Order: sequence, then C-alpha cells, then structure tokens
Amino acid sequence: MNKRVSLIVLATTMMVSVLSACGGNDGSAGTASQGGGGSKASKTLRFATWDTGDALKIEQDIAKKFETEHPGTKVQVEAYADGFDQKLAAGFGAANPPDVMYMWDFPTYHQSLEPLDGFADKDKDLNIDDFYKGLFNYGKIDDKLYGIPAGFTTRVVYYNKKLFDEAGIPHPKDGWTWNEFQDIAQKLTDKSKKQYGFGVRAENDTYDLQGFVWSNGSSFISPDGKTIDGYMNSKETADSIQMFGDMVKNGSAVLTGGKGQQSGDDIFKAGKIAMWESGIWPLESFKQAGIDVGTVEIPAFPGKPVKGVLAESALSIAKDSKQKDLAWEFIKFYVSNDSIKMRVADLPVRQSVVNELKKDQDSLYKPFYTMLERSSDTPAFLLNPKWNEVNRQLSAAVESVMHGSNAHDVLNQAVKDSERYLK
Amino acid sequence: MKSQWLKQLYRRFLSGSYRSIRTKLLFCFLVVTLIPLLSLGALSYYQSARIINSQFGKYGENAVAQLEQQTSSSLSRMKQMSETIYSYLLDPARADLGNRAPVTYSEIIEKNDFEALLKSLRTDLTAGIYIITPSGYYYGENNLDVTKLGSIPAWQEKPSTFQGIYWLGFYMQDHGIGRAGDSNLPVLGLAVPIHNSSGAQDGSTILIEENAQELLHMFRLFEEDTKAHLTIKASDGRIVYKSASAFTPKDSDMIWDRTLSVNQWTIEARLPAKAFYLSSGIIRSNTILVAVISCILAFGLAYIFSSHFTARIRTLKDSMQKVSFGKLDTRMPIEGRDELGSLDMSFNRMVSGVQTLVQEVEQSERLKKEAELKAFHYQINPHLLFNTLNSIQWKARLEGAEDIRQMLYHLTMVLEGNLDISQELITLGRELRMIEHFLKIQEIRYGAVFHYELHCEEALKRYLIPRMTLQPLFENIFFHGFIDGIGVIELDIREEREELLLTLKDDGAGITAEKLGRLFVPGPRRQGRGGLGVQNADQKFKLHFGPQYGLTVHSTKGEGTTISIRWPKKEERSDGYNQEN
Repeated sequence: MNKRVSLIVLATTMMVSVLSACGGNDGSAGTASQGGGGSKASKTLRFATWDTGDALKIEQDIAKKFETEHPGTKVQVEAYADGFDQKLAAGFGAANPPDVMYMWDFPTYHQSLEPLDGFADKDKDLNIDDFYKGLFNYGKIDDKLYGIPAGFTTRVVYYNKKLFDEAGIPHPKDGWTWNEFQDIAQKLTDKSKKQYGFGVRAENDTYDLQGFVWSNGSSFISPDGKTIDGYMNSKETADSIQMFGDMVKNGSAVLTGGKGQQSGDDIFKAGKIAMWESGIWPLESFKQAGIDVGTVEIPAFPGKPVKGVLAESALSIAKDSKQKDLAWEFIKFYVSNDSIKMRVADLPVRQSVVNELKKDQDSLYKPFYTMLERSSDTPAFLLNPKWNEVNRQLSAAVESVMHGSNAHDVLNQAVKDSERYLK
Repeated sequence: MKSQWLKQLYRRFLSGSYRSIRTKLLFCFLVVTLIPLLSLGALSYYQSARIINSQFGKYGENAVAQLEQQTSSSLSRMKQMSETIYSYLLDPARADLGNRAPVTYSEIIEKNDFEALLKSLRTDLTAGIYIITPSGYYYGENNLDVTKLGSIPAWQEKPSTFQGIYWLGFYMQDHGIGRAGDSNLPVLGLAVPIHNSSGAQDGSTILIEENAQELLHMFRLFEEDTKAHLTIKASDGRIVYKSASAFTPKDSDMIWDRTLSVNQWTIEARLPAKAFYLSSGIIRSNTILVAVISCILAFGLAYIFSSHFTARIRTLKDSMQKVSFGKLDTRMPIEGRDELGSLDMSFNRMVSGVQTLVQEVEQSERLKKEAELKAFHYQINPHLLFNTLNSIQWKARLEGAEDIRQMLYHLTMVLEGNLDISQELITLGRELRMIEHFLKIQEIRYGAVFHYELHCEEALKRYLIPRMTLQPLFENIFFHGFIDGIGVIELDIREEREELLLTLKDDGAGITAEKLGRLFVPGPRRQGRGGLGVQNADQKFKLHFGPQYGLTVHSTKGEGTTISIRWPKKEERSDGYNQEN
C-alpha cells in the first residue's frame, strides 16, 4: 500500500511540475528555430535606385525576373529615393556601396565606379550598336565608359488640347518659335479662372535650362569647360532666361513648385495651365488625370536651330563590388529588349525596341525622338568637374530672375561669384 | 437516478461494513495523497506566480523605459535640431535672411545656403523642417501649405506669446501643398518661436516634424504586449498620447511611469490589476485544475484499491460465516501471495483440518454405536443362558443332585458378574463376592485342597475396582500355579493414603524370569493363555486411572507369585456414576 501511495504522489507531483514548467516556458517558446532557412540564395546583388512608386515597382519586377533566370541569386533592390546622393556617397565612403546603381553624375562619382569598356567590348550579347549613339557620351569620363544607358528622356512642350480648342487656337506644331509660344500663352491666360498659358518653375534645375540657352546660340560654359564669363552671362543666355521671368511678370505664366505653390505637373493635371515643359516622366500621370494632352518640340529662337537637352539614367558598377561579373549580367539583363519593354517610365534606349513598338511613329512620343536628334551639345557638368559649385550661384541667379530680377545683372553677379571656383 | 445512487452510496457509507476498514483506508489514502499534493501545488503556484509577477513587472518597467528612451531620443534630436537652427538664425551674419519671400540674387543665395543647412540636418526620420515667418513665407522644403498648419491641433492652442520650445505632440502630417489627405504620416512636432527683437526672424517659428510611425508602432506593440493603457502627458497636463482603447483608471492599477528629461513629459502605463495578475491567475487555475484532477484520481485509485482490499476481507468473513453454518467444504480462492493470500491459505488449511476432525469424530461415534449395538446383542444371549442354567438348577434340585445345583448356582453368579457389562467399575466388595463364587466352583471341582485367606477391612469394600480384574488372576493361579488345585492364596487389600494396595500372593509354580519379561510386552503373538489375564488387568487399571497405576508381578520359579496392584481410591456415587474421590 505504501508503495502505491508514494507512486500516486510521485505521479501527481510530476504532473504538477510538468504543467508549471509548461507555464513557465510560454514566454520563451517560439524564439528558437529561426534562421536555418537560408536556402540556396548564396549570392546577393545590391541594386540602388532613386525611383519610387510605379517606376520602383517595375524595377523590382525586373529584379525578380532576373532572380528566376539566375537561380541562387538574390537581387536586393535598395530604393534610396530622395536620399540617393547622400546614401550613395555614404556607401562609397564606407567601401560598402551597392553592386549596381543608377547613375547620372559621372563627373562626381566616376572615381568610385568600375570602367565598363572591357565588359562592353567583350560581350557581344550587349549589342552595343543597337543603343542610340548619343547616349554613351554621358557615361564617359576621360574616354572611359562608366555607365550603360538604361533610360533617357528629352524635353518637350506638353499642351492641353482642350484649352487650345476652347480658345480656338490651333495646336502648336514642331518648328514653332518662342514668339508664337508667348503669344499663345498670353491668349490662354484667364486670371479670372486662375488659368495660365504656361508654368514657370520657381526653382529651375539649370541643367534643364541648357536646351533653351543652346537654342539661343549660347551655353553656360565654354566648350573647353574653362570659362564662364561671356557664356553664362552672355546676352543670349540672359535673354533666354529673362524670357521666362518676363512671362511671369506679364502674367502669362504662373510660378510653380515654389513655397506654397503647387507643382507644375499638378497644375497641368488640374487643367489650369495650357502648356508645360518637361520630360517623359509625367506623361502617364497626365493621361491618367484625363487630360487630352499633346506634345510638341521645344520652340525655336528665330533663325536659330532648336537644341535639346538629354536627361539620361545609366547603370554603373561600383569599383568596390565583389561580384562584378554578376553585376554585369544584371546590367545586361536590365537593358535587354524585354526589360526595356517593361519600363514605361523611360524612353527605350534601343532603336530596335523603338522600331518594334513604333514609338517614333506615335505623335505623343515622336517629339521626344526628334528632340533626341537635337541633343548633341554637351551639358556643362560634363565639361567642368567643379560645375556643382558654379551651379549654386547660377541657380540662385535664375531663381531671382523668376522673381523679377534682371537676368543680365544677376548673371553677371553669379559669374563674378563663381569665377573663383574655376581657378 | 443519480440521487438514488448518491443515497445508496451514503447509506453504504454509513452502514457498518463501509465505516470500517474501507473508510479508514480511503481517508488514509486521501490524507496521504492530498497533503503533499495540495502543498506542492500551492507551493509551485505561489513561487511561479511570484516569479512571473516580478518578471512581468520588470518587463513592463523595461518596456516603458525603452519607450522613454526612444521617445527621448526623438525629442532630443528634434530639440537639438531646433537649437542648431535657432543659433544659425541668431547669427548676425545671417541678417540677409529676411522674413519675406527672397527675390534678389543675394537673398536667394542666403536662402539656398540656409535650406542646404536644413537639408543637411535631415535624418531618415525627419518629416519636415520649416521656419515659418510671420509674413507666411517659410524656409524649408517646398511642400508646406502654411494655411493648413491650423490642422495641427496643438498649433492653434499654442499661446502667441509662448517662449521657449513648444511640443506639438503627435498628429497626422496634413499640411502638404497637394490635395488634403495626400500624405497621412503620423509625426511628432516641435514648434520653437524665435525671439530676436533685432533680427528679421523675430516672431518666426521653427517647426520640426519627425516621423512618428515607428514610435507609435512601438507604443501599439507595447499596448498589445502588455495590455496596458499608455498615456503621455505634457508637464502642463496636456495629453500628448493616449491609447485608443477605453480605459478607466483605478487605484489598484499597476503603474509604470517615467518622466522624459528632455521636456518633462510623463509616460504612464497603467495596467488593470486584473490584467497584471492574469498570467499568474492562469497558473493558479491550472494548478487548481491539476489538483482537482489528481484528487479525483487519488480518490478513484484509493476507492478501487480499498474496495479490492476490503472485498477480499469481506469474502473471507463471508466464508467464515459459511463455515460457522456448517458448510465445511467452503474454500477461499487464493489471490496473490500477500498477507491476505496467506490468510486465505491458512483459513483453507484450518477448515480442511476441522473437516477431517469432524469426519474422524463421526467415524468413531459410528463405531461406538455399532459396538454398543453389538454389546446389546450379546446381552440377549446371557438371558437365555441364565434361564437355561436356572432351569437346569431347578431340575437338579428336583432330581436331588445338590452339588450340581450348587455348582450351577456359583457358575451363574460368576457368569452374572462376568457378563454384566453395564458397569465397568464395580465395588471391591462385589468383586470379592464374585471371587468367593469362583472359589466355590473350584472347591467343588478340586475339593477343599486349597487355602484362601482374605485380609480386607470392611470400609475398603466400598471403593471401586475395574470389573473382572481379579478373576482372571485367580484363574491363572489355578491353571498355571497350582497343580490339582493345591496351594495357598493370600489376598491382602490395604489403603495407603489416597491409594489402595492389593497384594495377591500364591505359593504355586511361579513364573520363569524369561516368561515374566515377556508378560507385559504387547504383541500379536501370544503363547498360550498365560499372561493374557495379567496384561488385561494391568491395562484396565491404566485405562481407568492413568498410566502411573497398574499391577506389578514378582515371581520366583517354584516358590510362587506375588501380584501387587495399586490404584486410587474411588467411591461409587449415589446416582450410580463413578466419581473421583
């Protein structure tokens, strides 16, 4: 009997202790068995982009497609967005940059990038001749190629067909002049409706203004990149910029994107400006906003050829990358016909794709390609590595012009302030 | 049905059979099981509850401390940012930085420089840095709609004369230039009014906003984790943050609180006592559940065991009862080799022993009855014998043959003594009278050639002696001792204290020593008649009075034999039965 009693006590004691042990373990349960799930994804390729939203989503899809075609590879898309320059600089500084990155500012970063001539020459798959020729100029520093063009845009004038039709004004045609442009802007301005003929950016990127300056036969800097005096403050430069300041002054254009101001894209989408100058980027959103939009080449200064400026994004490989071959594979994949077709926010960099999709036949896209033919001039930042410093003064000067200052005066001032950076 | 069962159980419990060993066993079991069980359960509950409570308390405290640290780091970062901006603005070299929209080249240069600074101050978490001038112009990213600042709840409440830094708390950033509700980012806001009577920025306000998504997420995690109600109060009592769930504070609430050193905000997490003790409550209910289950288990086991145990005892008892009613063929089944099993075994042994005994007694009783019947049967024949003898006696008398009649008379008397087997013990006097008759017969047979001498006090004649003990001895004398009946027989009876001593002496042929040695040896084969009477007599005495009594024989060949008999004095009872003296 004693044996049995003690057995019962033992059993119940064990039961109690087991139960209480269970209770005590609740908190820590589930922490184990993490990790160990890392399967075959042995290689991870980091890809940095400045895009956000839809454009980013497309890039992620391309990355996924690359992963499925290259088993064992994982592409980590790093969306730096607004902080792109900051984070990229930090990555280079820490010798831990992304393997592949979007790039446009080659003069600033080329020392941290891997020259790609070797890859491009060896690799016949790239089919380098299919690219628009002019695109390679932007990725070259000292005759070395640092970036493979991934996408580009030229700039055109968007116009709201509805507002033109309401006012009985014929749609603008390629080869029109700035005088015609200003006239139309005047006519399409109706302040009672808060409607303006044109939108002028309060804070312009001077890069974008170069097309106008070139069209007027001038430039910001001498072709050898050594002199700004007489270029940046030339009469032609000043006139081309003054024109926009005047339009704001006379009320045929509205300032956009400044303090307390809506962006030009938004105002155009709201149907409150008749014309808007920009690249390919907002086209989709204009269509989505239900605007009956048309595109036309940039107007010409009388008797002078129209010049365009090219905004290009390229892909580069970091010099510190540990897997350059894989990075090159990714770049090749990214600029393949299939990938280019996926990316609708950029203009295709390959002629074959353009021909296949008949983009250059589409009246909406055609001006972009005709403007591409006019984009032969070299942007200032490629001519002088110190351009960023000069640009600060130039930007301030341009901004003050938009706020009513005399372009000639402020450009002189800017040149005076900038000269020291060029010595 | 159930109540009936209970009633039955109750009745059985009260009834004698259940109050006994089974109940005691049951209680013993329960006491032995329950005391350690309950004490163990209680002990484990109290200890684990204490540990868990203290751990949970510490966890809560740590969690609140972590919240405090995170909030603090945000707040101090913002404060530092505002101080940097403030000191930049106070620098007389920045006098060009006006409180209106910059239009000239130099103003724009200044503005760009300042905004470059603001940009450089930004971190990943920064949601907005603006310096809003009284004119409505502001410095910072171009995405602010000054007119919408009123949507910040605390912005309106801020006293216009406020000095120092003013925390706007948490709110949705809804003052973008785009359409309302475009970006609904929860932010933490800080407003710092600038007081600089000499500078252009006097009356401007620095607005710094930091993404509070992560912070609020942490708050929510904390709330979900601990089920606590979180309140953050500014030093002036304004509620900065409050958990969404409805909550009424109670005095019994568990409170973890911290004060932020940056701005004296207090983070207070209140947890209802009930929720705090929830986990230990779960342990308690588990423990109770286990204890109850174990009790039932113990009770069940005890019940089963004790009923099994007592059932065996009861079966044994029932068997005993059966045996007492005479069912001697009752046997216990042997279950196990324990004490009860051996008890069963000895019970079975005992009962079978009793059974054999009873059978033996029955057998002997039956034999006795048979003997009695036989004796009765023999008794019938003497009557015929005596009647015939009497008839012959009468015939002899009528014929005048007096000595034949005499002989028949004495023979009748001797036979009567011999054949009356109703009494085993007779008085000494009666035995002596029979001897007289026997001698008379011998006298008629041989003539008066022997001499018989009797020494016996009259008082001794009333004591008892086994029937037919002396006559065979006398017969022996006549058949073996004397030749033609010639000799002297001396019979002497004395009392010695409580015993009688009889000595029978003759002067006959005597017995050889060899024969004398064989006299008392029992054996199947006996030679001749000699000795049978002696041994018979000796056995009779031993049977009636005990082995220490009996007779001894002394004899010398050619000189005669002396037989002495010793037996205790015993008187005849008045009712006819023998009684010891």
